[in-house]
Amino acid sequence: MSNLLMEIEAQIAGARTAAARQNVGSIRELGDGVAKIEGLTDAMLNEMIDLGDGVTGLVLNLEETEVGVIILGDYTQLKEGDEARTTGKLLQVPVGKSLLGRVVNVLGQPLDGKGPIKSDISYPVEKIAPGIMRRRSVDQPVQTGIMAIDAMIPIGRGQRELIIGDRATGKTTICIDTIISQAELNKAAEAAGDSSYRPLYCIYVAIGQKQSTVARVIAVLEEAGAMPYSIIVSSAASDSAANQYLVPFAGAAMGEWFMDNGMDALIVYDDLSKHAVAYRQVSLVLKRPSGREAYPGDVFYLHSRLLERAARVGEKYGNGSLTALPIIETQAGDVSAYVPTNVISITDGQIYLETDLFYQGVRPAISVGLSVSRVGSAAQLKAMKQVAGQLKGELAQFRELAAFAQFGSDLDAKTQAQIDRGKRIMEIFKQTQYHPIPVEVQVAVIWAVQNGYVDRVPVPRVRAFQSTFMDFLVTRHVELLATIKREHTLSDALKAELKTVADAFTQTWT
Amino acid sequence: MKVNKRAKRDAKQLFHLCLVNRLLAENRVRHVVQRVVTAGRRDGPAILSHFRRLLRLDRARHTAIIESVTVVPADVQAAIEAGLMRRYGPHVTTTFAYRPALIAGVRIQVGSDVYDGSVQARLTALEKSF
Repeated sequence: MSNLLMEIEAQIAGARTAAARQNVGSIRELGDGVAKIEGLTDAMLNEMIDLGDGVTGLVLNLEETEVGVIILGDYTQLKEGDEARTTGKLLQVPVGKSLLGRVVNVLGQPLDGKGPIKSDISYPVEKIAPGIMRRRSVDQPVQTGIMAIDAMIPIGRGQRELIIGDRATGKTTICIDTIISQAELNKAAEAAGDSSYRPLYCIYVAIGQKQSTVARVIAVLEEAGAMPYSIIVSSAASDSAANQYLVPFAGAAMGEWFMDNGMDALIVYDDLSKHAVAYRQVSLVLKRPSGREAYPGDVFYLHSRLLERAARVGEKYGNGSLTALPIIETQAGDVSAYVPTNVISITDGQIYLETDLFYQGVRPAISVGLSVSRVGSAAQLKAMKQVAGQLKGELAQFRELAAFAQFGSDLDAKTQAQIDRGKRIMEIFKQTQYHPIPVEVQVAVIWAVQNGYVDRVPVPRVRAFQSTFMDFLVTRHVELLATIKREHTLSDALKAELKTVADAFTQTWT
Repeated sequence: MKVNKRAKRDAKQLFHLCLVNRLLAENRVRHVVQRVVTAGRRDGPAILSHFRRLLRLDRARHTAIIESVTVVPADVQAAIEAGLMRRYGPHVTTTFAYRPALIAGVRIQVGSDVYDGSVQARLTALEKSF
C-alpha cells in the first residue's frame, strides 16, 4: 500500500500541466463595427478573434502595430482596453444538406425559429476558387422556366449570369422563378424516380435587403413548395456593414459544399450593388485608401473572387457545379457605372431588364438586344436550339423594322409580316411571375410560333392562345411532351406529331 | 489626439533612430524628445504622441509580467527568468506581480504572448466548453 501511495505521489510530482500559449491584444479604438486592436502579433488575415462576451471579430487589416477587426455581432458591450485573443481559426459556416429549407444569417445561425442546424461540417467563408485543371466546360442547362431566357439567353450549370436593371424591373422575380422552376423539376424527378436527373439546389443570398422583402421571398418559396430545395442566407439592411460584406461569401461556401460533393447548386446574390456599398463602408471605416466613387481599390477583386467560385468541376472532382446569378441594380439605366461594368466583365453574360419595357407590359422586361449568354448556348437543349435558333435575330430585325415603321411609311408585305411575327413573339415571351414553364412546353409553343400557327391570331389574343395551347398540351398530349423531354431533340416524327396536335388545336380554338 | 500620416511617419523614423542593435537607447530617446520639443513644430505633439506609443509597444515586447497569487520562491523566479531569456533573448526585463483573481497558478505575459497556467484560465476554458 505504501508503495502505491509513493508511486502516486511521484506521479503527481512529475505531472506537468502545460500552459498553452495564447496571443492577446487590447482594443485601442472601437466604433462603427470596427475595432483597432494593439498586440495580436500572430493574427492572420481573415482569422476569427475572440473579443470576449461571446463576440467574434474578423481580421481584415494587418498593420505594423495593430490589426483592424470587423466585429460580427453586438459590440455595444465592448469597450476600449478590453482583451482580445486570436483563435487560430478562419471564419467558417456550417454547410450541408441540413441547411436546406432553412433561413440563416451570415454565421449560418438559424433565423427561422426552426431549431438548431444539425451540421457537423464547416467550410471557410473565404476559399480559393477552383483552378483551371479542376474545371470543365459548361454543358448542362439550368432550366429557368422563363421562356425568353431559356430560348434566347440560355444559362448553363456552372455559369455566372448577371441580372442587371433599374429598381423594380423584376430582377429578383427572375431569380425566384428560377428557384421555383428548379424545385418543380427536382420534385418531378423524385416523383418519377428518375435517378439520372441531377437535382439543382438553390441558395438565395439577401444582401442589405429590407426584412419585409426577404419575408416575401420566403413566403413565395414556401407557397411554391421550393423551400425544401433552397437555403436563404440573409443579412438585412439593419445588419452591420461587416455582415453584409460577408454574407455572399458565406452563401458561396454553402454552395461549394454541394459542388465539392458532386451535386449541382445555384446561388443568387441579391444584390452585389448593395454588397459593394457595404464593402465601401467597411473599407472607409478601416481607413483604407479610397478610389473611384470612394470605393476601395480592390472592389473588382472583391466580386471577381466571389464569382470565380462558381464553376463546373470535372468528373475527377465529382462533376458538381455552382451556378451564380448575381444581381446588380443600376441607376437610371446606366450600365457604365463603376460596379456594373466590373461585374459585367467578370460574368459570362448578362440579362438586362429595361424599365420602359416593364411599364409597356413586357414582363419579364428583358432587353433582348443588350442581353447575352456567352457560354450557355453549349448547354441549351437541342430541341430548343432547333426551334429558337433564329429567334434572337428575328426579334432584333423586328425592333429595327418597328422603329422604321414608326415614320408611317408604307411597308411591303414581307416587312409587314416580319413586324407582325415580331409582335407575336414579344407577346409569347410575356409570362406571369412565379409560374415557370417546363422546357418541353416551351419547345412546343415556340415551334408553333415558328411554323405560323400564331400568325393568324390577333396580337391582343396571342397570350390567350398560348395559354390555352399550353393547357391543351399538358392535359391531352402528355406523352408528346414526355417524348420531347426524353429525346431532347425534335425528330421528323416528333415534328409531324406536333403539327398534327397544333392543327387539331387551331381548328378548335376560337 | 489626431495623428496624421506624416506625423506617424516622422515618429517612426525617430523611433528607428533611437535603436541601437535593435534595442532602445534611452539617452537617444531623451535627446529626440528634447529636440522635437525645442524645434517647436506644429505637429510636434502629434509626433511625440505616436512616438510614445511606439515606445510603449516596444517596452511591452521586452517586458515579461509574471503574475501569481502567492510570492514566487526565488528558485522558481530564477527558473522562469532563465526560460524567458531562452525564448525571448537576454533583453527581457521581468516584473513579478500579485493577482489574487488567478486563484492559483501563474500567468506570464510577454508582449502579446500569454502563458496562462492559472486556475482562473482553466475555469474560463471549462465554462466556454459548456
